Amino acid sequence: MRLGQELRLFLRQRLAVPTLVLLALLSTVSVATGLWEVRRQTETIARIQPLQAEEEKAVSAWVSREGDAGNAAYYTFHATWDPPAALAFAALGQRDVAPYVLRVRALALESQIHEGEAYNAELALSGRFDWAFVATFLAPLILIVLLHDLVSGEREAGRLQALQAAGGSTGLWLRRAGLRLGLAFVALGAPFAAGAWISGAAAGVSLAALGATALYLAFWALVCLGVGALGRSSVANGALLAATWVALTLVLPALAHLLINSTIPVRQGVELTLAQREAVHAGWDKPKDATLNAFFAAHPEWRDTPPVLTGFHWKWYYAFQHLGDLSVADQVAAYRRGLEARDAWTARAGWFLPAVGLQTTLHRMAETDLAAQLAYQDRIRAFHERLRRFYYPYIFNETPFREGDFAKAPRWAEDG
Amino acid sequence: MPAPCSSSPAIEIRDLCVNRGGAQVLKNLQLTVNPGEVYALLGGNGAGKSTTLAVLMGFLRPTSGTARVTGLDTASEAAAVRGRIGYLPETVALYETLSAYENIAYFLGLSGARPTRSEMDAALDAAGLQAEARTRRTAGFSKGMRQKVAIAMALLREAPVLLLDEPTTGLDPVAAADFNRLVSGLRERGTAILMVTHDLLGAADCADRIGLLAGGVIVEEARPRGEVDLLGLHRRLGEAATG
Repeated sequence: MRLGQELRLFLRQRLAVPTLVLLALLSTVSVATGLWEVRRQTETIARIQPLQAEEEKAVSAWVSREGDAGNAAYYTFHATWDPPAALAFAALGQRDVAPYVLRVRALALESQIHEGEAYNAELALSGRFDWAFVATFLAPLILIVLLHDLVSGEREAGRLQALQAAGGSTGLWLRRAGLRLGLAFVALGAPFAAGAWISGAAAGVSLAALGATALYLAFWALVCLGVGALGRSSVANGALLAATWVALTLVLPALAHLLINSTIPVRQGVELTLAQREAVHAGWDKPKDATLNAFFAAHPEWRDTPPVLTGFHWKWYYAFQHLGDLSVADQVAAYRRGLEARDAWTARAGWFLPAVGLQTTLHRMAETDLAAQLAYQDRIRAFHERLRRFYYPYIFNETPFREGDFAKAPRWAEDG
Repeated sequence: MPAPCSSSPAIEIRDLCVNRGGAQVLKNLQLTVNPGEVYALLGGNGAGKSTTLAVLMGFLRPTSGTARVTGLDTASEAAAVRGRIGYLPETVALYETLSAYENIAYFLGLSGARPTRSEMDAALDAAGLQAEARTRRTAGFSKGMRQKVAIAMALLREAPVLLLDEPTTGLDPVAAADFNRLVSGLRERGTAILMVTHDLLGAADCADRIGLLAGGVIVEEARPRGEVDLLGLHRRLGEAATG
């Protein structure tokens, strides 16, 4: 009954309904664009597979004439892809800036992985307008609009004493705040729930995402109530809350980002590409024996195969390709450790900076975070290992590679 | 919670001192209002009238002394005290997007009361709000109409004590006379009414006693139904107001 009266009173306020409609609209647009982007990525992945088959057919028609396995391994690209998780529509995260489709060959791998790691500067600057953005940055502003004058508005309207005299106490303000919080949550969460249903997301992870968002909104409601308890005017409350929003969602996360990046320096992925390419290109100038002995040390199973006698041989070529990967192995490990350390510190910062905490949580649930990106890279490395182990017997035993052999090549499975 | 005693004063203030901002606003104030009595408290700005009301509603704790409403201590039993008080601020601010009925239902709902439409009509009849206005949003209500809604709320709450803060300020003479008649009607019902006002003539019209508050103490008390020198009181009120 009381809540019904509060609801009627709230909904008749001049800005209440437009504010909630605005939030619902922003949430709906973000979910719709997220679903559209995920669909686009899924269709791109779907298009890859027939095109891959078509290309293999063309390559095999040419390669199988000579039966040279080196040519087959060199000219055949093998598609890998990372399909979006069901909740990716809500928090696109790294899928904006990191590749979700990568075609690899049995050549040196690390440059193939990292040369695609050039950030989409335009998107990296502005960020994607996804649901996580609306929940993290815009929903608190809506809550501030709804809650900044919860008590001060009544005082300024001359009703505060009358309300208190009529029995309105802490429960009244909590009821009003809870109602506004609940309505804002529904306006924000309902489009998300619809999006999760459309994309077939599991109920558990969808509810967990909504739960994390509810906690985040509750934090902002508490901030609003805390500022309101200072007893200042509505204008002063609004200004103080806006400043708090700027500090907690923009300034402090940016400072934390700068601090983490300067404390944990990480080389760019493109530097790995360059280092590996230099190592590979240097292979052309090194004595073949030195290259092959280094390769055989890593792969002794091919030591007793026929020796390289001519000026160029695929054995030598693939040996120095692989040695290129081995030459940057330590740098790759350090790069990964650095990224993971940054990610871990960002997660820790999330305990103190709710905006960072919510974004990190939503990206984890949507499997669009750094961990998901690195897991895709790990699956690519495992697949590349299978490719090499498939081609090496043909190359090192100098076995002719025929058209039918293409069908035996490893196929990318989404689980690696 | 101690049970109120019907034979005791509805409002009883003893040796009340209140310090605010380093200044003593009320100095050993003594005041009683009995059930069915209208007490008009007159005084200039800063005399301590609003402070007295704030203490009675439990919004302000006394520095020393006691204030009781129907036997309940306003400092330690503020919530219970508010349940026994009907309060009309100088400007009755209602929710303008709600009708008179809805405002009454809302404000009374805060204390858990759920009056029926017929009960509200009876109270609004007694308060004198015309029937056609009751379903309208209160955005266009005059001060007098808003006061009538607030009076109806007090009636529905059956509040034994009514605190009126400058109730006739801004009312035209006809509306002020209407209001004074309404106050007289409430007195007949046994309600104890403490009215803070600048309006000496209005107070003389409906109050049983008039207290002149100056410098935090009641410097003079008169009974307008007996012999009272209104012009003299008016002059002394002016003198008290100017210090």
